[in-house]
Formats: sequence, C-alpha cells, structure tokens
Amino acid sequence: MSDTLTADVIGQRVEVNGEHATVRFAGVVPPVAGPWLGVEWDNPERGKHDGSHEGTVYFQCRHPTGGSFIRPNKVNFGTDFLTAIKNRYVLEDGPEEDRKEQIVTIGNKPVETIGFDSIMKQQSQLSKLQEVSLRNCAVSCAGEKGGVAEGCPNIRKVDLSKNLLSSWDEVIHIADQLRHLEVLNVSENKLKFPSGSVLTGTLSALKVLVLNQTGITWAEVLRCAMGCPGLEELYLESNNIFISERPTDVLQTVKLLDLSSNQLIDENQLYLIAHLPRLEQLILSDIGISSLHFPDAGIGCKTSLFPSLKYLVVNDNQISQWSFFNELDKLPSLRALSCLRNPLTKEDKEAETARLLIIASIGQLKTLNKCEILPEERRRAELDYRKAFGNEWKQAGGHKDPDKNRLSEEFLTAHPRYQFLCLSTCVYTGGLQVVHFQLEQSFFLEYGAPEEWELKTQQPLMLKNQLLTLKIKYPHQLDQKVLEKQLPGSMTIQKVKGLLSRLLKVPVSDLLLSYESPQKPGVEIELENDLKSLQFYSVENGDCLLVRW
Amino acid sequence: MRECLSIHIGQAGIQIGDTCWELYCLEHGIQPNGIVLDSQQDQLENAKMEHTNTSFDTFFCETRAGKHVPRALFVDLEPTVIDGIRTGQHRSLFHPEQLLSGKEDAASNYARGRYSVGSEVIDLVLERTRKLAKQCGGLQGFLIFRSFGGGTGSGFTSLLMERLTGEYSRKTKLEFSVYPAPRISTAVVEPYNSVLTTHSTTEHMDCTFTVDNEAVYDICHRKLGVECPSYASINRLMVQVVSSITASLRFEGPLNVDLIEFQTNLVPYPRIHFPMTAFAPIVSAEKAYHEQFSVSDITTACFESSNQLVKCDPRLGKYMACCLLYRGDVVPKEVNAAIAATKSGHSVQFVDWCPTGFKVGINNRPPTVMPGGDLAKVHRSVCMLSNTTAIVEAWARLDHKFDLMYAKRAFLHWYLREGMEEAEFLEAREDLAALERDYEEVGQSF
Repeated sequence: MSDTLTADVIGQRVEVNGEHATVRFAGVVPPVAGPWLGVEWDNPERGKHDGSHEGTVYFQCRHPTGGSFIRPNKVNFGTDFLTAIKNRYVLEDGPEEDRKEQIVTIGNKPVETIGFDSIMKQQSQLSKLQEVSLRNCAVSCAGEKGGVAEGCPNIRKVDLSKNLLSSWDEVIHIADQLRHLEVLNVSENKLKFPSGSVLTGTLSALKVLVLNQTGITWAEVLRCAMGCPGLEELYLESNNIFISERPTDVLQTVKLLDLSSNQLIDENQLYLIAHLPRLEQLILSDIGISSLHFPDAGIGCKTSLFPSLKYLVVNDNQISQWSFFNELDKLPSLRALSCLRNPLTKEDKEAETARLLIIASIGQLKTLNKCEILPEERRRAELDYRKAFGNEWKQAGGHKDPDKNRLSEEFLTAHPRYQFLCLSTCVYTGGLQVVHFQLEQSFFLEYGAPEEWELKTQQPLMLKNQLLTLKIKYPHQLDQKVLEKQLPGSMTIQKVKGLLSRLLKVPVSDLLLSYESPQKPGVEIELENDLKSLQFYSVENGDCLLVRW
Repeated sequence: MRECLSIHIGQAGIQIGDTCWELYCLEHGIQPNGIVLDSQQDQLENAKMEHTNTSFDTFFCETRAGKHVPRALFVDLEPTVIDGIRTGQHRSLFHPEQLLSGKEDAASNYARGRYSVGSEVIDLVLERTRKLAKQCGGLQGFLIFRSFGGGTGSGFTSLLMERLTGEYSRKTKLEFSVYPAPRISTAVVEPYNSVLTTHSTTEHMDCTFTVDNEAVYDICHRKLGVECPSYASINRLMVQVVSSITASLRFEGPLNVDLIEFQTNLVPYPRIHFPMTAFAPIVSAEKAYHEQFSVSDITTACFESSNQLVKCDPRLGKYMACCLLYRGDVVPKEVNAAIAATKSGHSVQFVDWCPTGFKVGINNRPPTVMPGGDLAKVHRSVCMLSNTTAIVEAWARLDHKFDLMYAKRAFLHWYLREGMEEAEFLEAREDLAALERDYEEVGQSF
C-alpha cells in the first residue's frame, strides 16, 4: 500500500519487522518534520512510550511502553488476499539460473528435491486450490471486488491466522466471494467487530469458524454468528470471554464449542449456553472451573440442560471435589469425559483409584480420558465403589432389607448412585423400585447391598491384631475357672494342647479339644487334627475352646 | 501398473491392517462396502475432478461391479483375530478368500509358526498370493505387516519370506514391523522370537520400517492425553505413518516413487536396511487450532526424540540417508527454508561416504484423521525416514535380553520340542552381533 496518510489509515493493522501493531495516529509530530504514524504494538514492551511525546498526548495506549512513532515508509500495510495467494503458491517467472541457485545444502551434501517443478505448476493453477493457508502472510484486505471469486473460487478451507486484517467486515469481503468456504480461521488477528447488527454477507456453507486469540467478546460472537446459519464448530480459545447473554436465534446448529483458556468463564455463565440443542462437544480446558451444578435435577435424576452433550473436556482446571462427577451423572447424553491435570486427579499413585471412582460415579460414561471403559472395568469400578463406602452407608442408615433402609440426606447427596448399585434382584422383580432410574443396559446390575464380610477393614499387620482372644472352658470340670487367652491363629492344635497340658497338668494325649462360636450357639466343632492350625478350623476372635480329658 | 500387495501376518499385522485399510478408504472416499462415494467430491467450478482411477489402482482392485477390493491378504494361525474382521465394519470390503486363518495358533513360539503349525498353512497362503498377483498388471512388490515378538509374526513370516523370495525373486519386499516393548509386552519370549526372525528375514527383506510400541505408547500418553493407550490408539498413530509412506504410491502426484526408489535411497548396504521413522505434528484432538504448525515447525519436530517412533538417540549416531515426505498444504519455498534452518539448528551428522544427503517430496493431499481418533486434523504433516546408525541401540537392547535368557537356557524347551535346535539360536545371535558390528563399521570415518 502507498504511504499516503489519510484518515482511514487509523485503526489499520500493520507489520514492522515481524511485529504487528495497530495504527492509532497519523500526522505531524513537532518538532521533527514530516509525516509520522503513531502505532500501538501488540507486544506491550516493544514501544518507547504510551502515545504522548514531550507533554502532548497524540494517542492512547494501554501500556506505558506500548507505542511508538514510525515513518510511514517503514511500515508494511499488507497486501490483498489474491496477491498473498499468488505470492505463496505461484511459481515465480524467473530465469533458469535463479532457480538453480536455490539448491540448499546441509553440511556439504546437496538436498535433492523431487518433483518440485510439477508441484509448483500444480499449485499455480489457483482455480484448483481447495485448501489454502496464508498464515502470517500480511493479508490486510480483500482486494478489488470480485477478484477473489474469479481467481480462486473453489477454496473450501482458508487459514488467515496472524495476518493484518483489521475488521470483521474485511473478513466478510473475502469470505463472501468464496461460495464453497467451509472452514475459516482468522485467529490471532485483532479484529474490530461490528457494533450494530449490520450484516454484510451470509456465509451459507461455513461449517467451522476459528476465532482464537482475537479479543472478541460474546456479544460480538453472537453477531458474527448470525451470518453463519449452518455453523457446526466454533473455536474461541483465549479471548477472555465473558458469556453475557443466552444465544436465542444463533448458534443453534453448533455441535462443537471450544472455550478453552477463557479464564473469566465460571459455572453460572455456562447456564446461558446450556440450551443449545445440538451441542455435542464442549471444550472447557484451562478456564479455572472447580464445580458445576445442575439445580433443576434432583438426586439421581437427569437434567434438561445440555441435552445433546456427548463429550466434555475439562482438563487443566481446579476440580477438587468428587461431587463434580456426581453432577456430571445428571447429564442425559454424556458418554465421554476428559479431566486430566486437575487437583483431584493429579497424584500419580491415586490415578488408578481416581479413574475407578469417576467411572462408578457416572453411570453412562463410555470413554474416560480417551480410554474406552470396557464392561469389566466398569464392573470392577462399581464393586470397588460399593465396598469403599459400605461402612459410611451403614452408618448413614443403610440396610439390606429395603423396609429398614433409611439413608440420610447427606449420604444420598454425596453418593447418588450408591442405592442403584445395591438394588438386589428380589426387590426389583417384586416391582418395588427404591429409586427411579433410567436403565440403559438390557441386563440389570444387581450387586446387592454390601455384606458384613466385605466391609471389614484391613487391620494393620501388627502382632496384637493377629492374635485371637479365646475363652477356654472345661465342660467336665465345672469348678475350673474360665480362662481367657490370646493365641495366634497360626498356632497348631498340637501346640495348643501342649500349652493346656502345662496349665492343667494333664498329659497331652488325654486332651480332647473342640470349640464353639457365639454366632452359632449349640454347635460344637471338633479340633481333631493335631497338625492343623486354629485358622484352618476358622476359629475366630471371641470363640470358646472346650477342653475335655 | 505398479501394484502393491499387502500381507498382514499375525495379530499385530492384522489389527494394524484393519486400521490401515480403514484409513485408506477414508482417504480415497471408499465406503465400507467398497463403492466409491462420488458425491463426496463436489463438482468444482471450471475444473474437472482430480480423482482418477489410476491413483489407487496400486492398492485397490476394481471389480466389474464397481467395487474396490483391497489388494491384501490377512493371515493368522488361529481364527479369533481374523473373525474380528470377518464380522467387523469392513467385512464387505474384503473377499472371504483374502482372510486366511488356521485352527491352532503359534502360542508366541517362533518354532511353531515356522516349522510345525506354519507349514500346514503355507501352501494355501502361497496359492492365494499367486491369485492376487495374477490380478496385477505389473506387480511392484509386497508390503508385509507383522510384529517381531509374536509366534505367527515371527515364525510364519520367516517361512513365508523364504518362499516368496523363491517365487518372486525380483519383487521388492518392504515390511512394517512392531518391535517388542516391555511395557505392553505379552510374552516373555519376545526377544527369542525377534532375534530368530530377524536372522531369517534379513536376507529376504529389502527395507524394514520398525515401530517401537513403547515409543508410540509414550506419544499417546504424553502428547495425545490418552490415559491408558490401547492397541487401537497405537495402531491409529502407526497407520498415519504408513499412510504417509504409501501416499505417493496411492495418489497421483509429482513424487510418484516406486518401491524400488525407496530402497535405492535409504539402503546403502543390503543388511543396513532399518530406517527410523518420525512423524510430526502430533496434536491432540482437543487442541485443534490452538497452535499452528508451519512447515519449519514440523520439520524441526521430526528431529526431536519425542516424535520418533523408535526409541533411540540419533544424536549419538550418524545419518546415512534421510527422506522427508510432506503431505498437505506445503509450498516448496518453505521446505527449502525449513531445511536450511534445520542445518544450522541441529547436529545432523552424516557419514563421509554417502553422496546425497536429504531426499524431499511433497504430496498435496492433506492428512486425513480417523473419526473418533485422538489426533487433530492438521493442514500439513511430515514423515521422516532416516537411516541412522543410532538404531543399533534398539538391536543392542534386544540382544541383551536374549543373552540373559539364553545364558540360562530359559524357555528353550518350548522351541526344541517343536523341532528346533540350539544351533539355530546361536546362529541367529551371531548374525545379530554381526549386524551390530556392521552398523558400527558403517558409521566410522576413514
């Protein structure tokens, strides 16, 4: 572009030696003669001042070192779209010798290139180009009207990231001419978006729109989306977006929404996008979220929010409560989840346990962290979950018999799926339903309520924990006192007899031992094999040894 | 003309093959029943369709009904894995005669695959191969897919290679092999199988592209955010590399490389035919469009160890040859710039005696991703094939493990029982030791 300074140069995006900036001022800066451009750099430390010089404020900058004054001829205003395409893809008509000099060497070996001539010829046929990448090619405008439509009408995908486009209108000028355009990427351009609902064109074929790092606001997103009626994928990474309103007529066809790295988003704002009917994939990585609530659904019920959401990504967030996953269970269509690098799932040792707990908490999940959940894994996870919280369940009022089962509200909130995992067949076939659930599987889970023996916690391996406290009775000698002794379970019957023989002054061979358990009164079990241990006969703590001679 | 026959042997070969043909079908617009979906290619304004039959004729055979049948053979000594294909998504893509299974498997035993069980199936396999070869106008060669560690992959492949060299002596044979990795190892005797098979197939193979399960496992885990990579994830990544390598054979393009040209460039000596593969960019699907990868970015990434598909350090060795295969939106200008930048940035050391350094090719068709996969769709990708002396590290590791077990004659009886002799073990080990020495010699300066 020429260096004539007209008023419309203000706001344009320019490039100087690889650094991008926006023109904020054009005119004279005394005392130095000649025209100057005042620019605000994208990089806040690149400049020398904040727009003022020797006391006079010429333009405003956001940072004290964000601005500079530059001579217009040093600044690159960029080129138009078609020229940029030609620069990149078209074979330059230079003499033969020039091309020979371009042989590159590595070390002292030449690099042999195959078929580059043919490729260059092919790419020169611009009308055949379907996928075009003009990243960092200093594109600033569409060029003459209709030029793009004539030159390369078949473009389906265009990458215009990191260029010098200054406004959304300019983008529309280009995109409008490409009737088959399906994918448009204008990331890393500082665009000015229309303030009113002024539509300069409709991109009817557009399916994918990428607006990462453009500084766009939510209201502007909605306005731009009005021109894209068939939009399926929308990428808005790193824009400091604050979702301010609910999209009513726009974004209704969107299937994928990427809101990564927008730190201002919190869970309340998510309700505003919860009614998008086709939204299947939602990427919320790195937004600082720690909880989610679906207040319209009670414990064990499905929410009406996010009706089609199948895949949720919440990597790199602040999730530290298990209740997060209980809430996710309320989503009716959720089948896949990625939640890596959160405080709850960070510890490597506990990664396995964390995975099992997440699987058990969300009943319909099929894929977790991109690993398919096989039926055996799900079964293992659910059994583990049932066992792990069994004691809590009991303390909270849980009971095998459904009539006696009265769980506290607290327990139900913390473990909404627990009752489901405990439903036993007899209850179900009887038609009684403890809690109403939608069952997806054709077979039915019936693990039953956890049994006593499952809930026994492992005692630490100290000797005193391995000793059995036993009473010793002498049925034939009623005057003898009942002794209480602590014996290890691994002790053989022979050794027990030896001990008793020393105690009672009776020879070993005369002794006959048996035991009875308070749990089974009246049943006496003979300990006839001297070489077996007490454990072999399942003698337990609190049992009573009966000695006869 | 210039058709290629793919033979998939053993569980690894078959599962990779299944994923591979799925990807090929996606790239060529072929549906699971073999019919090309014409409407996928919308009519371009003022331009005729780019899609011509001769491009995928090398890999697919067109029947009179308009169905495209892959030129492939799936072989296994037991039926379960092949049954997966017979009942899977692509069952109507393959002719039933292309899916061969035996009844008794090789039980991770080279001897069974090679001698006892393998010998029962070999004649049938050769007959089917002949049939497929007859359908070709000018068969270029074979692409073999198999693993080193399995019984069928190691034993049966050795047997098959011997017979193929006998019948088709002048056809090229390339292979894609899966090198055993401790983390996803299924059999303790993998080192035995690997050493024995390398010894027998080295003289019959023209070029072997090894892929280390562990390297791919790491890539999936670290770069793609897959918590516990399964064979499916690993195969999907491997298949992208295979697709890059065969792209020039399947698409009409400027780099219409014959299989022979691969050999000529990458293999300086018949025994030094193990190039290392690297692939870039590897981007997780959730990070699509977050970062942009220019030609220079992906070229630099190829030289990083985290993008390699074999665990070894090329900085410790010297390059004998290097091939860069670009796909997608790549402009020759940028490739030249990228390579020039590489020369200054990395210690790319070549051997003294090798004349050409790099060979670079471009294929316009962009890389395709499989739906539901872990990789994001990118505009361009590059696959680097480099013959570097550093790969001897992988052989050294294998030999070491072999020695540990063989010193105690552990697990040997399984092999002796099937009719093998200890002498064969010693011979194989000697051969690999010689291979290590060859690599060393080749890397030395005058």
